[in-house]
Amino acid sequence: MQLEFRDNKDVWAGAMLIVTGTTAIVVASNYTFGTSLRMGPGYFPSVLGGLLILFGLYLVAVGLKRNEKIEGSWSLRALVVLPLSLVLFGLLMEHAGFVPALMVLIVGSALASSEFKLVEVLALAAGLTAFAVALFIYGLGLPYPLFAGW
Amino acid sequence: MPRMRSLLLTAAALLALTAPLAAQSDYPNRPVRLIIPFPPGGSNDVVGRMVATHLGEKLGKQMVVDNRGGAGGTVGTELVFNAPPDGYTLGVVSIAHAVNPWLYKLPYDPRKLAPVGLMATGTNVLVIHPSLPVRSVKELIALAKQKPGELQYASAGIGSFQHLGTELFKLEAGVNILHVPFRGGGPSMNDVLGGHTKIMMSSLVQTTPHIKSGRLIALATGGKKRSPILPDVPTVAEAGVPTYEALNWWGIVAPAGTPQAIIDKVNTALSQVQELPEVQKQFDLQGASVQKMTAADFGKFVLAEMSRWERVVKEAGITAQ
Amino acid sequence: MDLFNNLIFGFGVAFSLQNLMYCMIGVSVGTLIGVLPGIGPLATIAMLLPLTFNVAPVGALIMLAGIYYGAQYGGSTTAILVNLPGETSAVVTCIDGHQMARQGRAGPALAIAAIGSFIAGTFGTLLIAVAGPPLAEMALKFGAPEYFSLMLMGLVAAAVLAQGDMIKSLAMVAMGLLLGIVGTDVNTGVQRFSFGITELSDGIGFIVVAVGVFAVGEIVANLGDPAERRFFTDKVKGLMPTWVDFKASIGPIIRGTAIGSFFGVLPGTGPAIASFSSYMVEKKIAKDPSRFGKGAIEGVAGPESANNADAQCKFIPMLTLGLPASGVMALMLGALTIQGIQPGPEVMTSRPELFWGLIASMWIGNALLVVLNLPMIGLWVKLLKVPYRLLFPAIMAFSAIGIYSVNNSSFEIYLTAIFGVIGFIWIKLGCSPAPMLLGFVLGPMMEEHLRRAMLMSKGNASVFFTRPISLGFIIATIAILAIIVLPAVRSRRSEIAG
Repeated sequence: MQLEFRDNKDVWAGAMLIVTGTTAIVVASNYTFGTSLRMGPGYFPSVLGGLLILFGLYLVAVGLKRNEKIEGSWSLRALVVLPLSLVLFGLLMEHAGFVPALMVLIVGSALASSEFKLVEVLALAAGLTAFAVALFIYGLGLPYPLFAGW
Repeated sequence: MPRMRSLLLTAAALLALTAPLAAQSDYPNRPVRLIIPFPPGGSNDVVGRMVATHLGEKLGKQMVVDNRGGAGGTVGTELVFNAPPDGYTLGVVSIAHAVNPWLYKLPYDPRKLAPVGLMATGTNVLVIHPSLPVRSVKELIALAKQKPGELQYASAGIGSFQHLGTELFKLEAGVNILHVPFRGGGPSMNDVLGGHTKIMMSSLVQTTPHIKSGRLIALATGGKKRSPILPDVPTVAEAGVPTYEALNWWGIVAPAGTPQAIIDKVNTALSQVQELPEVQKQFDLQGASVQKMTAADFGKFVLAEMSRWERVVKEAGITAQ
Repeated sequence: MDLFNNLIFGFGVAFSLQNLMYCMIGVSVGTLIGVLPGIGPLATIAMLLPLTFNVAPVGALIMLAGIYYGAQYGGSTTAILVNLPGETSAVVTCIDGHQMARQGRAGPALAIAAIGSFIAGTFGTLLIAVAGPPLAEMALKFGAPEYFSLMLMGLVAAAVLAQGDMIKSLAMVAMGLLLGIVGTDVNTGVQRFSFGITELSDGIGFIVVAVGVFAVGEIVANLGDPAERRFFTDKVKGLMPTWVDFKASIGPIIRGTAIGSFFGVLPGTGPAIASFSSYMVEKKIAKDPSRFGKGAIEGVAGPESANNADAQCKFIPMLTLGLPASGVMALMLGALTIQGIQPGPEVMTSRPELFWGLIASMWIGNALLVVLNLPMIGLWVKLLKVPYRLLFPAIMAFSAIGIYSVNNSSFEIYLTAIFGVIGFIWIKLGCSPAPMLLGFVLGPMMEEHLRRAMLMSKGNASVFFTRPISLGFIIATIAILAIIVLPAVRSRRSEIAG
């Protein structure tokens, strides 16, 4: 029974909605609720939170009955590597400049693929970066230093 | 050995001391970044870009405009505040800069930013939709007193000039008009033109076409003197609220501790830019006029604006978080 | 035939060598920034504005306008090819356009998008010429109650977006509404769900959510499923639409054009609403709605026509009344002002070369765009032959630069990373992100208009029923509800009876 629950698509979707809805209501309780006629800033989010919880409960119930499984793999490698390389891009843009940030992003995200080949990816990174510098920095005039502090 | 080290340290310290001096004399030797704390397209952006182009020419190095919008201008201004005080990061400030301290809990001290200079001031116009049965400020005040809280005015949002300028009017005239905030100047203007909300105080450039076409009626302008663009329209002060005066303004600031020599250099270049006929013409067309100020005077001006709007925010009971 | 003479005059202005050149530059730049996510016409026009000070007003306006509607063309390209919405309005195109690409039909999808856009653009241009002023007057009648009722109708119709599971779709709409609330409350200035983060005080950017859940989420899903991603390299069928495609598309193009024109005239609606509406209509009237989301060409033809008609008609309030219907239009007004032209109703009579020249140039520009875009299709489709392991890092790179450029800040990048993860989880749980984005677009506007209407009517809800236009939308909403609910009820009855 427990195993079935672990990859039950609808139960998880429902649980996600319930958590989101509850969070919304808790956070919105800090804002003035108002009345239906004079709505405060808390009115809309609280109502929506309630709706989400209702939807969530329904989905959990349906899920227990239907028991549909999540299909495919979770592609954990990509799920970790891609967001991480975006974060690195963000950090490097602020501290190291456009060129290093973009190189790291391209090489980093390429790592998410199981077919990663270093030489090929390095060539891609160099080519794309050169193209992006020409297009964005010189062409569109975006005000980013190519290398910060160098 | 220790002696050697201390000697080196002294030399390094001396170098460190002289380095900024050297840096100042050849300032700017690389592009200067001008942070505009609003997204592209608004008045801050238009004014900032107009000045940046020419200012870069006068300083001899390109001035790069960097739009950092967000949170009523506080995100961008915080960036200026935290930038190294070397003159290579400057920021545009506007009336929002004098209002924000009273609306938000700021992560920086706005008084500590080094004033560089004023770029221009702009006039606002109090306009109404023709369906409102008043044709002068006095009649408007009379109607508002007759129906307290029933008349409504539109603004570009909480803390915007349209909001505070009208709140100041309400305080000085002693009337109660309901505030209807919009998301930006465009939507509020649309609503007033449609006659849904009927009163608004907005910039000359936004309102003039509609005043000329008769879709809006100008009751008064907000400055000390009449505007040359609408010479027949009285000032609010002339029209019955003698204590009223409020202008839009746009200026340049630098991070605290920026060397005075650099500030003076930028200020001088700015006044040269302000003298260019084409710049003056462009400002005229925007319903604004260039106004020169020394860095010190601009600093005093900003402080005076801050205390003016502090009073309005507090007395009108405006809150944001 | 005043109109005819005026148009001839306009074409005379627009066909001057100089103005043709500005038109060409405008639409080319527009296409380019349309392809790039994040970098939109607003920022581009703002950056180019100082350059236009020294250009004659007609030329300047023609070029800036070209950037704007050119971007609508370009936006669909990456949406179809790699599920990356280049422009806000292209989000809907991702749904079926990208599925078409996966089936090797990227060529027909791109072609039909261009053709639909051209037809819509032509109609929009004509509409400005024929009925600009009265339409603008009509738009002014829309106040807060009208906008709210209109959006309520849109939201109810959103149930149609449901793919398979209606409850999940509705839940995603609610989720979108909630996400849209993040930021400063317009009515009170209170920060909601911003958790003390200054960058969140202006809300979450649409492009951040769209790129996160569509592009990044999709890449993660593809990488986890090696079999899935072979689609690009293998089966590219035909570059041009077949006769069957054309027959299927002509209805959606006409309807999309009408819908887009309607929303385009109204200043208070954003760019994605027109294309969402067109998509919902097509899905509702289709004989087999289940094809939608799986590469139905109607789902590309309709919305792409709608967003171009919308873009074209956004000029109506600007040209005829001097009203800024959107941020881009406000910039155009600014450009005119700097040129010493007072925008407003007099422009039509006092500066006819400007008004009619621009209108003629818009038609020329739309034609240029088709001429530019159709031959490009072969090139674009070749791009799909690039192995996926090299293609997806490039998608990531362009997404990241584009998003960074929105506010020149890394914060949006971090948010995109988060939405990428969330989007992937949603895909896995069978919750489609499209209804969420509709909610995200409609949510803040709906709440704002509702509360403003209540503020202005002093809390009297009857305002929605006493104003005729608003009442009309409310009745339409009830009718749509009936259409959606009745078949379900009937089928249940027959189930019981059977």
